[in-house]
Amino acid sequence: MLDSKIPPGAMSDKWTDFKFHAKLVNPANKRKYKVIVVGTGLAGASAAASLSELGYQVESFFFQDSPRRAHSIAAQGGINAAKNYPNDGDSIKRLFYDTVKGGDFRSREANVHRLAEVSNSIIDQCVAQGVPFAREYSGYLDNRSFGGAQVSRTFYARGQTGQQLLLGAYQALMKEVSKGSIKLHSRTEMLDLVVIDGVARGIITRNLVTGLIESHMGDAVVLGTGGYGNVFYLSTNAKGSNVTATWRAHKKGAFFANPCFTQIHPTCIPVHGDYQSKLTLMSESLRNDGRVWVPKTPGDQRKPTDIPEAERDYFLERKYPSFGNLVPRDIASRNAKEQCDAGRGVGASGQAVYLDLADSIKRLGKETIKQRYGNLIDMYQKIVDDNPYETPMMIYPAVHYTMGGLWVDYNLMSNLPGLFVIGEANFSDHGANRLGASALMQGLADGYFVLPYTISDYLAKNKPVDPKLKEHAEFKKCEKDVANYIQKLLSIKGKRTVDDFHRQLGKLLWDKCGMARTEAGLKEALVQIPKIREEFWKDVNVLGSGEEFNQALERAGRVADFLEFGELLVKDALDRAESCGGHFREEYQTPEGEALRRDDLYSYVAAWQFNGVGQVPTLHKEELKFEEVHLAQRSYK
Amino acid sequence: MSFQIFDLSRSITKKQTVAITGLMLISFVLVHLAGNLFIFDGPKPFNEYAEHLERFGIFKKIAEWALFLVFLIHIERVTSLVVQNIRAAGGLKRYAVDNSRGPRSLATRLMPFTGTFLFLYLICHLYDFAWANDQGIRSMINGKSLGLYGLVVNSFKNPIHCWLYVVAMYCLCLHLTHGVESFFQTFGIQDSRFTLLVRKLSRVFALMIMIAYSSIPLYVLYILKI
Amino acid sequence: MSKKINLTLKVWRQKNCKSPGAFEVYEAKGIDTDMSFLEMLDVVNERLTKENIDPISFDHDCREGICGTCGSVVNGQAHGPVKGTTLCQLHMRNFTDGQLIVIEPFRAKAFPVINDLAVDRSSFDRIIQSGGFISIKTGQAPDAHSLPVLKGRSDSAMDAAQCIGCGACVAACPNAAAMLFVSAKVYHLNILPQGEPELKTRTINMVKQMDKEGFGNCSNEYECEAACPKEISVSHIARLNQQHRKSNFT
Repeated sequence: MLDSKIPPGAMSDKWTDFKFHAKLVNPANKRKYKVIVVGTGLAGASAAASLSELGYQVESFFFQDSPRRAHSIAAQGGINAAKNYPNDGDSIKRLFYDTVKGGDFRSREANVHRLAEVSNSIIDQCVAQGVPFAREYSGYLDNRSFGGAQVSRTFYARGQTGQQLLLGAYQALMKEVSKGSIKLHSRTEMLDLVVIDGVARGIITRNLVTGLIESHMGDAVVLGTGGYGNVFYLSTNAKGSNVTATWRAHKKGAFFANPCFTQIHPTCIPVHGDYQSKLTLMSESLRNDGRVWVPKTPGDQRKPTDIPEAERDYFLERKYPSFGNLVPRDIASRNAKEQCDAGRGVGASGQAVYLDLADSIKRLGKETIKQRYGNLIDMYQKIVDDNPYETPMMIYPAVHYTMGGLWVDYNLMSNLPGLFVIGEANFSDHGANRLGASALMQGLADGYFVLPYTISDYLAKNKPVDPKLKEHAEFKKCEKDVANYIQKLLSIKGKRTVDDFHRQLGKLLWDKCGMARTEAGLKEALVQIPKIREEFWKDVNVLGSGEEFNQALERAGRVADFLEFGELLVKDALDRAESCGGHFREEYQTPEGEALRRDDLYSYVAAWQFNGVGQVPTLHKEELKFEEVHLAQRSYK
Repeated sequence: MSFQIFDLSRSITKKQTVAITGLMLISFVLVHLAGNLFIFDGPKPFNEYAEHLERFGIFKKIAEWALFLVFLIHIERVTSLVVQNIRAAGGLKRYAVDNSRGPRSLATRLMPFTGTFLFLYLICHLYDFAWANDQGIRSMINGKSLGLYGLVVNSFKNPIHCWLYVVAMYCLCLHLTHGVESFFQTFGIQDSRFTLLVRKLSRVFALMIMIAYSSIPLYVLYILKI
Repeated sequence: MSKKINLTLKVWRQKNCKSPGAFEVYEAKGIDTDMSFLEMLDVVNERLTKENIDPISFDHDCREGICGTCGSVVNGQAHGPVKGTTLCQLHMRNFTDGQLIVIEPFRAKAFPVINDLAVDRSSFDRIIQSGGFISIKTGQAPDAHSLPVLKGRSDSAMDAAQCIGCGACVAACPNAAAMLFVSAKVYHLNILPQGEPELKTRTINMVKQMDKEGFGNCSNEYECEAACPKEISVSHIARLNQQHRKSNFT
């Protein structure tokens, strides 16, 4: 049984007590500690900036050319906070409650409560940084409602909230770089974690321009490297998003928790060809003003505008009258799939449902709709070549976010001392399903307001690392392993491309371990994945050398990791014989087709220990106790 | 508020120096034009105007030197900017396909060339009128010196000279089309609401300058009877 | 409706910033018009790999037009022929069957070529480091509602803040000037009350750094605005010019 190190006391006092009891590092000693931060998304950039402000030496690593490119930038809709500015009954307690319930009771209560507590500070911090949140004519901040919540607690900056928040964090990072207290390593990918005597001591990186492999040592390593959605090949993640950093840490002993909790976002632009390289998300905020429907008759080939009202099925409004089109993501996605499986899907592939803005345009006027969603509609128009002001948009669910990640305790530290994991890369706050506008909140909460306290507590309890440790044989060994691994990839010179394997893996996972999973399907996938992996190591073709800018090589390393990780994902999905949130096992559903949790058996976090490629991993459990929010069947009816 | 000696080498400061010297040159162009237009009144008022200027003596000399300095600064700053620009763009031949999408006009593209041409023409112009002997052979009309007036009329009776002048004024027009508009942008007295208006007005202004100046040689060549 | 077209690509290939580059010609056959430009390059790269030819390097990441990573000069135009569109959002339906497409990297002294179409834009980061931020530390910032900001100002700040830092303005500017990028960032922060205390130092320092990086000078040709995938207005440049003028007096 894993120890989550949740502080004692009442739920609402835990974080305050923790902060008071946490050990502090003397200001003069802070600069003697070095923290390695991998990733510059909302979590990584905000953590690096905040730690540097405290006085620690920070080194920041990212594979992109600039910290501002991290995929947090693509988040559209907004960020939640319990400010209750609209006076509609919101509170920290309600945000906490909604998040635990929305996560289908598979998240850690204490973490979620802390998240709700610090949510308000995030908004204050971002406004002070100059993030141009939407405002009303009064000059005060505007809020909107978002999927899965009945209060308007979402702050937004047009359809580019993620971009603006990331630029805020990026600017804070740049401010610290200019003071010389952060060193940036751009186009540098972490390829291994160095663990000495059970403690995380550093990382091995490859410079993507020169191919140089280097060791970096620090007093703590922080991973803010995002999620693993790209294991499905097609997802709304950036092309570069990968599991490599977390997976290689996992291979060095860090436990991977709940990998089967993946979020399928309901409103994405449908797939249109086998050349497709990624899927594009349309912000969920569209569901505020858009109505989701399919024709009542399967196989109806008429144009959507020709289908009369009586022959349309607004299935979300029909099944969930109180939440309607605003049900949580997992429910909206699953219902769309259900309609398509029943043959009522629309579009050339039959894998799409309509999202119709017509009623809102009639009610509010085209101008208002344009103001709210103009950029989304433009984007849709560019990709699909169709005009949403006149014909309904077509949407279909797509992999979007991963709730699972490396296991961390209350301090955001993994089971390996010195290895901290923040943002989407960890597993802690969203349980089995994340609510809209909560990812930005969690990333910034971890980076700005949680990690600086918890990491200080850890550092205060440990002496600064001896510089001589850099000469330790383990660093040399890891460097060599990485170099050999790269050489191995380059030496295969087979016939198939990296993307070819990635597509094959992705399709398998989407079919067998996507929106709905069955025991037979998962078992089948467990047979197939090792075969694809074996084939990969025999027949992949990576041209060029390791001593130059080589994008195929970068991708090969990432896909190799996905091929190992995918197996764990499926194994976890098979092991969790219940349905909850984004994890829907067809065997476990209520008579109405809703997810059926089995709290008596699966009310735990599944944290997996690596035992070797292709070997059965060891399961460690962390019991989840619900003291504040009582276990209940989620209902959005 | 304390005055800080600011760094003249900063790109924006350089550009603003070009803009402000440009503005001074435009005012010179206007004053010069006003004087020139006396030619339509005949020899006497025109020559009187010229003599009137001479009476400023030392002040005229100072003004001339100041004007010369303004020219020099304008040209030197622009040259430095152009050299920097070519270097920044990595040479003159940049892309295999030259296919700009923006509003880049002929006037804009030709800016350094119209400027250079104007400068060369100016030297000829000074040689022709300012440094020439206004009682000499070139000022004689019907055997009698008509001073500067005579000098001008004789010169422009030559169609080549006349049309060279008109071409120079066309260059001035192009130069001002971009220059005037640029002045507002570079000095930041601009607002997106007025961008188009400013663009139109600077075109109209440049065109009027060209017409007004060119009217003189054309009048002399085709209308004036002597 | 989608259809298949055949194209000829003339692509700039360059090993690194020290070696000279040259154009290579590749055929792109059976390209679906619903593909994005980068997906078309993916298809070509797959084929090249199978023929044991090094695939074309090009920077890209989000492929939804927001991260600012992608960008090349397509037939002489930064991000290609469609206004307000990044390369990843440019679709092949904008090209015709049999067309020759010339693909080059963004060219500027301040953007050295890394490999093929990938360039180094870290100069933009260094410009931000010189002052593109508000110096607030993480901690107890005042309540967000303690400082109302005029809606108009906030909206203008957002208009400027939309810049994705892709560098198309530099690529399109005949002088390789970075004024649109710098002015958008300066203006985003300067117009907000939070950014006012550092207005002057920010303005001066960012312009200084811009010059130091070797960018050219703005000659008001407005090619940048035409190439900007976020259609950021050149009026920001006018405002930067104005604020820079005023910031000279402290």
